[in-house]
Amino acid sequence: MLFKIIPKTLWAIFVLGSFVFFAACMLKSKRVDYISEVKPIFNKSCITCHGGVKRQGGFSLLFRTDALAINKSGKPAIIPGNPDSSELIKRLTLKDPEERMPYKHPALSQKEITTLKNWIKEGAVWGDHWAYVPVAEVTIPSNGRGPFNLFGTPSWINNDIDQFIYQKIKKEGLTPSEEADKATLLRRASLDIIGMPAPEKINEWFLHNNDKNAYEKLVDTLLSSPHYGEKWAAMWMDLARYSDTKGYERDDSRNIWRYRDWLINAFNENKHYDQFLTEQIAGDLLPNPTDAQYIATAFHRNTMTNDEGGTDNEEFRTAAVLDRVNATWEGLMGTSFACVQCHSHPYDPFRQEEYYQFVAFFNNTRDEDTYDDYPLIREFHETDSLKFIALKNWVKQNEPTREKEIIQFVKMQQPAINSITADELKNAALMDTKWLVFRNKAVARLKDIDLSNKTELMYRYEAYRPGGEWQIHLNNPDGPLLCKSSVIETKGRWKEAKMHFAPTAGRYNLYLTYSNSKLKLPEETGMQFDWFYFTNPFPAKSYTGKDTSYKYFEELIEPSYVTTTPVMMDNPKELFRATHVFERGNWLVKGKEVTPNVPASLGGLPANSPKNRLGMAMWLTDKKNPLVSRTIVNRIWEQFFGIGIAETLEDMGTQGIPPTHRELLDYMSWKLMYVYHWDLKKLIKEITLSAVYRQDSKLNKEAKEKDPTNKWYARGPRVRLSAEEIRDQALMVSGLMNEKMYGPGVMPFQPEGIWSSPWNGAYWKTSEEGNQYRRSLYTYWKRSAPYPSMLSFDATSREVCTARRIRTNTPLQALTTLNDSVFIEVAKHFAGRIQSMGIKEKNAQISMGYELAMHHPITDEKRKAFEKLYDQALIQFKNDKNKLQATTGIEKPTAENAALIIVAEALLNTDEFITKN
Amino acid sequence: MSRNIQRIIQEANAQTMQQLTRRHFFQECVTGMGAMALGSVLGGCNWLGSKDTGSSIHSNPLMAHAPHFAGKAKSVIYIHMAGAPSQLELFDYKPDLMKLDGLDCPQSLLEGKKFAFIRGVPKMMGPQANFQQRGQSGAWISDHLPHLTTVADEISFLKAVQTDQFNHGPAQLLMHTGSARLGRPSIGSWVTYGLGSENNNLPGFVVLTSGGKNPDAGKSIWGNGFLPSVYQGVQCRTEGDPVLFLKDPAGMDRDLRKASIDAINEANKLTYEEYQDPETVSRIAQYEMAYRMQIEVPETMNINHEPAYIHEMYGTKPGVACFANNALLARKLVEKGVRFVQLFDWGWDSHGTDENLAIDFGFVNKCRATDKPVTALLLDLKQRGLLDETLVVWGGEFGRTPMQENRDGKKMPFKGRDHHTEAFTIWMAGGGIKKGFSYGETDEIGYSAISGKVTPYDIQATILNQLGFDHEKLVYPFQGRPFRLTDVHGRVINEILA
Repeated sequence: MLFKIIPKTLWAIFVLGSFVFFAACMLKSKRVDYISEVKPIFNKSCITCHGGVKRQGGFSLLFRTDALAINKSGKPAIIPGNPDSSELIKRLTLKDPEERMPYKHPALSQKEITTLKNWIKEGAVWGDHWAYVPVAEVTIPSNGRGPFNLFGTPSWINNDIDQFIYQKIKKEGLTPSEEADKATLLRRASLDIIGMPAPEKINEWFLHNNDKNAYEKLVDTLLSSPHYGEKWAAMWMDLARYSDTKGYERDDSRNIWRYRDWLINAFNENKHYDQFLTEQIAGDLLPNPTDAQYIATAFHRNTMTNDEGGTDNEEFRTAAVLDRVNATWEGLMGTSFACVQCHSHPYDPFRQEEYYQFVAFFNNTRDEDTYDDYPLIREFHETDSLKFIALKNWVKQNEPTREKEIIQFVKMQQPAINSITADELKNAALMDTKWLVFRNKAVARLKDIDLSNKTELMYRYEAYRPGGEWQIHLNNPDGPLLCKSSVIETKGRWKEAKMHFAPTAGRYNLYLTYSNSKLKLPEETGMQFDWFYFTNPFPAKSYTGKDTSYKYFEELIEPSYVTTTPVMMDNPKELFRATHVFERGNWLVKGKEVTPNVPASLGGLPANSPKNRLGMAMWLTDKKNPLVSRTIVNRIWEQFFGIGIAETLEDMGTQGIPPTHRELLDYMSWKLMYVYHWDLKKLIKEITLSAVYRQDSKLNKEAKEKDPTNKWYARGPRVRLSAEEIRDQALMVSGLMNEKMYGPGVMPFQPEGIWSSPWNGAYWKTSEEGNQYRRSLYTYWKRSAPYPSMLSFDATSREVCTARRIRTNTPLQALTTLNDSVFIEVAKHFAGRIQSMGIKEKNAQISMGYELAMHHPITDEKRKAFEKLYDQALIQFKNDKNKLQATTGIEKPTAENAALIIVAEALLNTDEFITKN
Repeated sequence: MSRNIQRIIQEANAQTMQQLTRRHFFQECVTGMGAMALGSVLGGCNWLGSKDTGSSIHSNPLMAHAPHFAGKAKSVIYIHMAGAPSQLELFDYKPDLMKLDGLDCPQSLLEGKKFAFIRGVPKMMGPQANFQQRGQSGAWISDHLPHLTTVADEISFLKAVQTDQFNHGPAQLLMHTGSARLGRPSIGSWVTYGLGSENNNLPGFVVLTSGGKNPDAGKSIWGNGFLPSVYQGVQCRTEGDPVLFLKDPAGMDRDLRKASIDAINEANKLTYEEYQDPETVSRIAQYEMAYRMQIEVPETMNINHEPAYIHEMYGTKPGVACFANNALLARKLVEKGVRFVQLFDWGWDSHGTDENLAIDFGFVNKCRATDKPVTALLLDLKQRGLLDETLVVWGGEFGRTPMQENRDGKKMPFKGRDHHTEAFTIWMAGGGIKKGFSYGETDEIGYSAISGKVTPYDIQATILNQLGFDHEKLVYPFQGRPFRLTDVHGRVINEILA
């Protein structure tokens, strides 16, 4: 024995000794690391006054160039290589409280000062925050090999993700948990992958299949289910701030559900993430964009539109543009960028000017806060869609040079001039700031219109009064007449009309005038305009089929039935808008003009990329972009584990919470781009097949002390379900779920008095024919009054991008699942479903109910709790016919029916049921 | 209730106690933060959850917290008269305006100004009410408010309030959320976020509307904005469920509900024993609390058991959604420890477009309907010793023009005044505010504020101050920066503090 022990000890001493020696060498040669050692000191003690917001004494520590520059004192504060003559160091140790830094705050510790001194001595080298450095390939830790482990890879490990996790679990002195039982895994994977329990057939199959790869097959089955797209679309809708209303005071309805359906399809088709982003950011700029690609761009048309009269449309157009910038950064790049609107970022390397360079990407879209949310893509149906194809073919054959323009006009009625841009109004007004309206002897100006190569004006108008004439003059109201038309009454309807004019090259201020002798009172209004479109007549040559095609053209301009979706579309050259820095974030105080670009600290636009949204999309999806892959990986991880690897999904910057497993985050981000080529299903499969995901989620004593919040993942995730999942699960388990997909928002039951809009008669009408039992993501979403039961489970009003829902646990949630009529109805159906299985005995009924909900048998103790409830309920219902009737709502109810409903309701309220275990 | 559940509740309470020791932590943090940004919603010092607690709020986020310093007021009752009552017929007495009555408005008052409805040259309109000085303080209050005149010496009037929003929606948003745009938390949400609730069985922030219409800005003026949804104002309705989903389903009585919650919690207790997840403990406590809320909320919301003299005093009409009932409810709610009660009345938009909106008809009726209850509220709070610790605020979202409205340049069928942003009156009483005081002056026709100007931000800063908060330090990190109710504005109106 002794013989055996001694060498081992000696060996250990030798190893230890060499480690100490090695560590000492490391210490000696180790340079001060800016990010982990210096930046935290700056952020804590200096940057509030010397950062991106305040630059006291003309000194800022945000960028190296600024920090080394000559400041107000006339010299630089940092002299690389020479800490003793650096003012920054001197100021830290002065006695005079007026001079000593940090000003009016406790002095830095000696250790901190030494760190700063050494750092300056070593050249004051700046470093990049981890999240701003492109993702590099990460070495996978090998927990199996090496001199200390002779047993090979621990059997717990399933795939590479586990290697990273296991390494930390070991380091923290924890033990990973065993795999959860099949029933738990089934429920967990279903809720996580498709957002609801799997259909009964899949459950049956999985629970009775003992194949080694049954779980993998389950994951594959769930990934190929159409419900997969619904779950992930619901997640994305928070980022896209999807809503069925426009927001602000009036909060009127908006048709944008085709975008929601696009999301569902995109996830189901497994559109790779780079393509997925490209289409949403710049689908309209792709060559020959399809309708679907246009609809994808509605991502950024979910911004709010202000319909309140008297509001400045340009102000709210600007607000929408800034919101697009903020949502792009927060949602797609995990970076809080909104603060850079007013000043350079206080902590992170973004200058204010760079914010507005990014604004410039979005500032040239055609939308202008119009009432109808122009521009819209119009999808034709039935015979209209055939007419459209016929028209398209005809134009292509006969007038190919005009195909693009004509087809774009038919599809989008663009690029039109919105009437709200008119100015110099006389006897005219922007009615409710929505449309240009004329009284008798009206004048209005359309500024700087390019008439070159155009001879026709199409316009959309409404005339309330018969008679009158309207004209267009060049340069001033009495200038040369361009064209004129007598006004035909439209009887309260919008109508398209046209006028022709002689070729007039150049750009002009156009003065629109109107007079109508039938208007007697000065305040009477005669007509109003929506938009103006300067173009050329429909191909006039005597091509065959011209008449039919022209008829189609006219019919398709105002079809009786069309589905519209607001989309992105860039301004044509003549409508270009310059972008300026807003001084202190105020849109009215315009500073320097800027052009589209991305922040210098994140690498430039890729070579050959255009300076527009398409170029931005190329930059976002470039493998060198450090943020996009990390953000989506972090977000997907959060969907499975309830918390991101970097908890602050909205901010991976220096102020965000640092990732617990940075290497793992980078490993998955690298793999997503270089191995999976942005295929999200592959990433999800890898996560769900990992041992860390499949662990039992029970908290043992050891973990309770060492890791109560599961930061190191030595147990499986246990997370309360999302608002959508809670309702969907209840519908599914009770058998009430209507699995119909797509279409306009639906209205499940909602209590009276939730909607009360001051200006429109919009009201909530419970959907019928099963539409009230559709999945939650189809619920009509009104920003000013979101669906209340979902709101109480932390859904958000979606006014702006929500990068992360904060989970709460409140009594109002308990009241919702206890008393909301939706859940009462679910409980009734749930009880009915149990009874319909032919089970009579109460214990068996309770057990069956529990098993339908949880997939595994109930314990005796739990069953007893529900039996007790059943018995109490039974006595009550036997004694009180009214309560019995009220509870069941069926003819000839029995007390047993009612008691089971009460138990079913209780089952739906258990912690186990509303939590993913 | 089984002993096991009792034990778990005790455990939950112990957890709450642990959280309470974070009070100090919270104070330190918020003060220490200064102008520094918190990097994340849950990061750094935010007591809602530290870096260690994961992303959910384990303990009751509504538990009582201490503010930055000892405040004078424990609760606030904010009476908002949506539509904007005319200061010129109530508090801002302008005899000189009478002399100009019927004359054209001078161009100097119109140049460069934007009005909601006035077009061309309107006529000046003198006060449409008789004024007298009231009480020891000599406050000017018109005959429209005979009851309020009796409590004039309790009130501080702010005569020179200014706003920059002349549409109802944005102006109401500005007044209640510190921003004319949607998306910011309302003042009541900020207060509940900062203070929690003293009564676990009632919401911390209750909203009562007079029935009929909601304010133009909708629920956003009591919304939680970017704060967690638990801080949003809970609209207690006088018809239907006082709180959404409060009522048990048909056929279920209290005994059965108790049995059902016991069964749920017994099952949850077993789940807790199995998984040891602290969230489960919290959920058990929330179900208990839900059950208690079901009893306490309807009790509090029921005014039938109030003595006859109280009904007489307020002029209540049991069973109807009306302002008088809400005033009485407001007293009951603050008595029970609710932090912030917001009353919304409507119908004050006296344009003169019809009889109801006429300054000499509908407006007078609105005064009559609210004068008695508002006065009763002050007296009732006082007789219960609650006025000293309850701050009562009364006001609209803007004021009204000294000119008579001439919509589209035409003479109107009734007398009315247009929206006016440059000077209006708001008053405060109780909660450490000077008694019988007036601050701020307008010019001789009540058009412009000339001294003691205050903004909605100043009013917000003052309300927070009375509750013990430095408005610059009550912050919440969002979109990369610490947001506060008053944004970059606001000054505590020290002049009116007792």
